[in-house]
Amino acid sequence: MQLRKWLQPVLLLSLGLYFLSIVLTGRISLYVNERFGWLSWIAAGIFLVLGVVGIVELRRESVDDHVHGHEEPTHAGHRHGPVPSWPSLALVGLPLLLGLLVPARPLGSSAVSTNGVSTGFSAIQASGSPTQLEVAPTDRNILDWVRVFNSSSNVEEFNGQPADVIGFVYRDARFEASGQFMVARFAISCCVADASAIGVIVQWPKASALAQDSWVLVQGKFSVQDVGGQRAPILVADAVDLTTQPEHPYLYP
Amino acid sequence: MDIGSVLGTFSTRFLGVFIEAVPFLLLGTLISGLIAVFVSNDDLARVMPRNPVAATLVGSMLGFVFPVCECGVVPVTRRLYQKGLPVSVGVTFLLAAPVMNPIVLASTYAAFGWGPVLIGRYVISWIMAVTIGLLFSLQNQPQRLVTPQALGTISGGSVDAVPAPAIYTSRPPLLPGLKQALRVASGEFYEMGRYLIIGAFLAAVMQTLIPQEALKGLATNPVNSVLAMAALAFVLSVCSTVDSFVALSFARTFTPGSLLTFLTFGPMVDIKSTMLYLGVYRWRVVLYIIILPLLMSMLIGIWLNLNVRF
Repeated sequence: MQLRKWLQPVLLLSLGLYFLSIVLTGRISLYVNERFGWLSWIAAGIFLVLGVVGIVELRRESVDDHVHGHEEPTHAGHRHGPVPSWPSLALVGLPLLLGLLVPARPLGSSAVSTNGVSTGFSAIQASGSPTQLEVAPTDRNILDWVRVFNSSSNVEEFNGQPADVIGFVYRDARFEASGQFMVARFAISCCVADASAIGVIVQWPKASALAQDSWVLVQGKFSVQDVGGQRAPILVADAVDLTTQPEHPYLYP
Repeated sequence: MDIGSVLGTFSTRFLGVFIEAVPFLLLGTLISGLIAVFVSNDDLARVMPRNPVAATLVGSMLGFVFPVCECGVVPVTRRLYQKGLPVSVGVTFLLAAPVMNPIVLASTYAAFGWGPVLIGRYVISWIMAVTIGLLFSLQNQPQRLVTPQALGTISGGSVDAVPAPAIYTSRPPLLPGLKQALRVASGEFYEMGRYLIIGAFLAAVMQTLIPQEALKGLATNPVNSVLAMAALAFVLSVCSTVDSFVALSFARTFTPGSLLTFLTFGPMVDIKSTMLYLGVYRWRVVLYIIILPLLMSMLIGIWLNLNVRF
């Protein structure tokens, strides 16, 4: 009872500190679109206020009890309502536990296998504007490329266009022994719940040496080839360099 | 695929839903705490019309007074029940408020602008919430729909977090009142937060098991697309304040009717809100609160696809 009573505000305070830490370290961008990052500041603030006020009250109360003894056994229950049960405390502790113990990482290839990587993600195009066409080819990210591919009526126009993109390595059975892999990113509009994987097929002789999920910088030129009976741009790489995970691992349509 | 990366992906998905939803739940519990302390039963009785139809209409617009989304609306509804809100009006409020509020109006406008999607979303949500609320008002013993915990002080139970008496003669002074409101909010976060966490957990499990690409294959069929979007709304459990942006990413591929199903059914029912509802209503009632909006929003979505050109 005593322990549970203290755990109630302490867990809230810890959640506040956890939210503060993910916003301050930028880890928030692994979970939600940065456009909604300010909401996590609000959450951190409310958690901290609830936690601190709760702890201050419990301290004052334990001092009171010390001075006056326990002549009012129902006193605490009356002032604070019910103390959360152990299952409730455990559930509220679960996000903390996963957040602290499981190394925070962005969605990667293990999330792709259920969502599927799309090279022609027409859905993305809907919220895009034609301005991507004005972005210089080497400044386009994977999302920009997928958009221009979709908005183009003549795929041959991309033949020979230079590209310079960052993404993670994705390979499935299709790419075994073909000297190809996909350089992929997740696009999220709200949070990781609506993540969709998008990617560009890369041709690179040493493709099979690249570890799944490693972040790479790919430079090369597009060459339009037949892929499964369809004409599609394939990025023929001049260089594939390992790089660090970008600060914002997801792209925001 | 190693177990570490599966756990990592699961954890990221779970925390994604939790981190996105918890600010809204916290705001809801704060509003609920403030109502508990500063709004008396008499205040509510004064505002609420006695006529059940008129009361339901007021309930459908309460979201503009308490701007909450589908997570925040649940503690607020529960609190309003303790203040004597009729059960059917609460159902209408619960279903309408996640859409009928200024924040969601702004985000829907930001995503789609003034147009058929925004107008359709509001008109359909309003019709659904009012109809279902009126259906519930036919129930003879409305108190039996709600769990004893949710009624708390009214039923004389001591399980509720409200330490103060249910009936006030005067409002508490500001500062002690605010502290009291924070105490109530803290207790309520534990009561409601656990349902949110179970919901986020289930949503992460479902997202891991159900391939979204399979659902996208149904995008253009007037009937199947509606089924797919209803399923997606339920599984993704995205907050109503931001679901317009998610819908936007489906706008080009999916039929307009199915988008409206996503935007009207999703705010009313999804995995995490279903869990939250179980903290207020008996499970049989929760079943109705899932099935009625599902059927109505799907029928409207399919009808629009077949009969209206957007």
